[in-house]
Amino acid sequence: MAEKLIKELHSKHENHLSRRQFLGSSTLGLGAMALGNLSGCSISSEDELRSNFLNKTGLHHVPKAKNIIFLHMAGAPSQLELFDYKPLLQNLDGKECPPSLLEGKQFAFIEGVPQMLGPQFSFNQYGESRSWVSELLPNFKDIVDDVAFLKAVKTDEFNHAPAQLFMHTGSPRIGRPGFGSWVTYGLGSENTNLPGYVVLVSGQSIPSGGKSLWGSGFLPSLYQGVELRSKGDPVLYISNPENTSRTTRRQVINTINKLNEIEHNSSNSPETLSRIAQYELAFKMQMTVPEATNIKDEPDYIHEMYGTEPGEVSFANNCLLARRLAERGVKFIQLFHRGWDSHGSNDFENLHGGFLKRCEEVDKAMTALVKDLKQRGMLDDTLVVWGGEFGRTPMQENRGGISNPFKGRDHHGEAFTMWMTGGGVKNGITYGETDEIGYYPTKESMHIHDLQATILNQLGINHERLTYPFQGRDFRLTDVAGDVIKDILA
Amino acid sequence: MNCHGGVRANGDLSFLFEQTALLPAKSGKKAIIPFKPNLSELIHRIKHEDPELRMPLDADPLSLDEINLLEKWINQGAKWGTHWAYISPDENISPPKIEGDWGYNGIDPFIFKKMKSENLTPSKLASNSNLIRRASLDIIGLPPNDVMVQQFLSSSEKNSYEIIVDELLDSEHFGEKWASMWLDLARYADSRGYQKDILRPEIWRYRDWVIKAFNDDMPFDQFTIEQLAGDLIVDRSDDQLLATAFHRNTMTNDEGGTKNEEFRLAAVMDRLSTTMEIWQGNTMACVQCHSHPYDPIKHEEFYGMMAFFNNTMDNDNDNDYPKASLLSPNERLMKSILESRLSNFKSNGDSISEDYQIALNEFISIQPNSVPIILELPIDSSRKTVVFEKGNWLVHGEEVSPSIPSFLPEMAQNFPKNRLGLAQWLVSEENPLTARVVVNRIWEQIFGRGIVTTVEDFGTQSESPTHPELLDWLALRFINEHQWSIKSLIKEIMMSKTYQLSSNVSDEQLALDPYNRYLSRGSRYRLSAEQIRDQALAISGLLSNKVYGKSVMPPQPDGVWNVIRHVAKWEKSEGDDSHRRGIYTFWRRVSPYPSMISFDVPSREFCVSKRIRTNTPLQALITLNDPVFVEASEALAHLMINKGGESPEDQISFGFQKALMRLPGQSSLNHLSELYHQQLEQNSSRMNAMKEVASVILNLDELIMRT
Repeated sequence: MAEKLIKELHSKHENHLSRRQFLGSSTLGLGAMALGNLSGCSISSEDELRSNFLNKTGLHHVPKAKNIIFLHMAGAPSQLELFDYKPLLQNLDGKECPPSLLEGKQFAFIEGVPQMLGPQFSFNQYGESRSWVSELLPNFKDIVDDVAFLKAVKTDEFNHAPAQLFMHTGSPRIGRPGFGSWVTYGLGSENTNLPGYVVLVSGQSIPSGGKSLWGSGFLPSLYQGVELRSKGDPVLYISNPENTSRTTRRQVINTINKLNEIEHNSSNSPETLSRIAQYELAFKMQMTVPEATNIKDEPDYIHEMYGTEPGEVSFANNCLLARRLAERGVKFIQLFHRGWDSHGSNDFENLHGGFLKRCEEVDKAMTALVKDLKQRGMLDDTLVVWGGEFGRTPMQENRGGISNPFKGRDHHGEAFTMWMTGGGVKNGITYGETDEIGYYPTKESMHIHDLQATILNQLGINHERLTYPFQGRDFRLTDVAGDVIKDILA
Repeated sequence: MNCHGGVRANGDLSFLFEQTALLPAKSGKKAIIPFKPNLSELIHRIKHEDPELRMPLDADPLSLDEINLLEKWINQGAKWGTHWAYISPDENISPPKIEGDWGYNGIDPFIFKKMKSENLTPSKLASNSNLIRRASLDIIGLPPNDVMVQQFLSSSEKNSYEIIVDELLDSEHFGEKWASMWLDLARYADSRGYQKDILRPEIWRYRDWVIKAFNDDMPFDQFTIEQLAGDLIVDRSDDQLLATAFHRNTMTNDEGGTKNEEFRLAAVMDRLSTTMEIWQGNTMACVQCHSHPYDPIKHEEFYGMMAFFNNTMDNDNDNDYPKASLLSPNERLMKSILESRLSNFKSNGDSISEDYQIALNEFISIQPNSVPIILELPIDSSRKTVVFEKGNWLVHGEEVSPSIPSFLPEMAQNFPKNRLGLAQWLVSEENPLTARVVVNRIWEQIFGRGIVTTVEDFGTQSESPTHPELLDWLALRFINEHQWSIKSLIKEIMMSKTYQLSSNVSDEQLALDPYNRYLSRGSRYRLSAEQIRDQALAISGLLSNKVYGKSVMPPQPDGVWNVIRHVAKWEKSEGDDSHRRGIYTFWRRVSPYPSMISFDVPSREFCVSKRIRTNTPLQALITLNDPVFVEASEALAHLMINKGGESPEDQISFGFQKALMRLPGQSSLNHLSELYHQQLEQNSSRMNAMKEVASVILNLDELIMRT
């Protein structure tokens, strides 16, 4: 059935786009015409040709995950203090870094010859998988058998903004569509009353990559991530103006739609009908968004579990919100928790300062999120991804060639740790390994493009076929690279 | 082309260039042997019975007709055609003869003939109220003012429409509307881009230059040369130097640890790609890394073109150098007006009056400031340009000098081999593309769809023009008759009968031509982000009339601009400045004005030729709830109550007419007045009740659309 439908769409598409599409069809494939029907939104007239092929037809294969919750630790936590345990590094603590590790390398801050820095916290092994976790994550240690550790993730960038952009748009420069834009473009959204790509931000202000991390780039704006704000309107302009009650709003929209119907009687324009539908949706969203974001409804034990405090801006609140959104069919839920940068350059940005605090903020909540998804049977088809934009050096950061007042590490993209769970990923495994000091990968290195390809794969998309034509070429999230890492898939 | 093109040449075979296609492939066999289809491997392979060997691979076999066509082509000598866009238009082209005498000017026979061949019948003319709204929105981007509407609807003059069109073209608001198309192309923004996205607080003077150039109807060839090479013009004026800020809208990376040279080159390559897209409808960016997959551009030719742009002083420095201390064209004008007023004061011996003081203060307040501009490096410190292997700036290939790709017309000998020469070449008689591309852009702005739909791409992957002869005819007229005048071109288009048709669509038209490619009816499309804002403010009487000036920050929700810790606050503009047209809204790349993003503005990091128009619930929330629109509803309600007559029905009709230039039909009026009375019954004040009615009016599909 599906095959038949896809074939039909193919021929329909080619008829419309005749030459352009005919020549390019073998690489454009379904991806280009897979624009989903996000929230029932539409793109007018001509663009519709390239766009409005509905929902599921975007799938290239049966998906393992329906939704994704991406927990981005912006600022880049140290893998050497959390998961990648390196006892040898302890022995090297305070020793000068050998020149072989420095030659030809470009660092954000390290200058001259820095000293090696041993792990700052103690580690133990947990679960049947005997996974190493540091003392900073006392809750997370309970779920190690549910996750797949990726211990040799590699990025090309060594500054926060470009590395975050690289992670979320596949390119270190602004202007490309966000991860969730690609996904909703390809798949549409399950829930027509909520945006398909939602962004939740906590920690100190917004991540340094800015809103470009969830912009729609050259994709139509309806695929942009919608930030659910913790203060003020959760979605911009969702609240009625003062003195306009919900009853009045209903009456206003009824009147608009009646007049638009009259207009349609003479204009006969399909877009007028679409506008009527959009106003109905807007009215529904005015209900569903506040309802979905109202975590006060949750029972006490849930608040206890996550450590949530309704009304605050917090990672815990956002984790709970993420579960509620996933329940409601939001396809791509992106969390950012900012403030992980730990150079040791001041009393905040160091491994015993801000870093410690961030660990406290996320440990309980992210663990609760995984447990909660599991107890609701949602973990099977919800993919959870955790990680920063890069990792940290085994050397102590030494800006200006002198030693920093606090313990800290510089940016490091060669190998760092992320973890995934749910959505068809193997449980209790570790993929990738680093050398004895956690500097270079020794096996199973996973590039950011591989990570993206693998995530798309779990969502039912072939990353090479999810393309969009812009400035004369077909763009992809994974640029011209990326392999699905099958070893971590169940 | 995917398998045997510019990127992949599987089996060493590429069909992109004639010379490569005729060479033996890896197998030793020749794919094409002219006049000998039976010996040509191409034919052998497309007819092959074994699917493993049959081409195209992994696809359905070609149809018999297609195979016959290819055989015939080889039989006739396998002549490589030139893509239509690279062939000069026929100078003798003229409007075709058609049956009857449908139409008002030369455009119409082209359109009529084509629509007939598609079995379409033209719609009747649009109503006058519709027509004046359409013309005004298309020419100045705003609804027509009351006086103009009154004058037009009550006139019995035969040429009353032409009078209106001329009046609109003369309006100072013309430039404000047409600049927004250009600023998308120029990727204009008030900030530098990349992570820090530091502000460029003085670049608005370039934006004003663009508005002024459109208002002055600067011929497009001059408009081209000044922006691309104003610095190289002998005895250049300040304005010509200001025009070069066009290519300083590239991004500057101020992030720590980044290599200035890498980002200088990124800016230079962007200038090349942007120039080629705007003037030649060519998507050159691909060729940075490899030969073009579909168009006949070789890898090294990209760098030959890049050499034209690679010799400027700017180098991604943190201070955005070089800059020049400049006034905007309008500031200079104001300054000279004030100067003569001040000197008049003096001669009257009136030097201490209050008026004098005000004029003096104003005079003093207009000061030039540092605007980033383009300057060429002196000959003795010129940069070398080399080919970057696979586009990687660290891997150098052979050195190249400024040159035009061979598929494009040659550059005349007397043009200098620099940016100035390049600009002159773009608008020279030998270059058939520029006028076509520009005419198509103007056409797209007016009809919502280009004669070539892919306004950004006229290459082999473009859509064929729906009306190729019309495109050529218009392009030639643009150069010869209109002398590159944008205003004359717009007028010619708007005086056509095609332009003036009703946009209502019959079932038959909808079935035969759902997207109105053949223009048998008036076009209908959603207004731009700027227009939607401007229209609401104009109808409600809030819109500031001020033209030109620095970018403003109208109210936006708290927290939106809380982007990064490094720089800058949204400093809310006060008074009239909070009600200026959208084009003056401060444009920060990492966070453009939120209501405008939802209505599909690009973020202006790169050149964008065509905005996609979406229709989403977030848009409805904006026009219902954004304080700008709430304020507009209140102001409109105020006008309705105070100026609309005695009865609520009169007041409602008044407001409706103000918005749409026509009275509401009876049933529409009934619905609106029902809403009004409902609100009164729910204990609303008259004002609040009318505000909801006004909000309905400002949300009507007919208003959001250009019909």
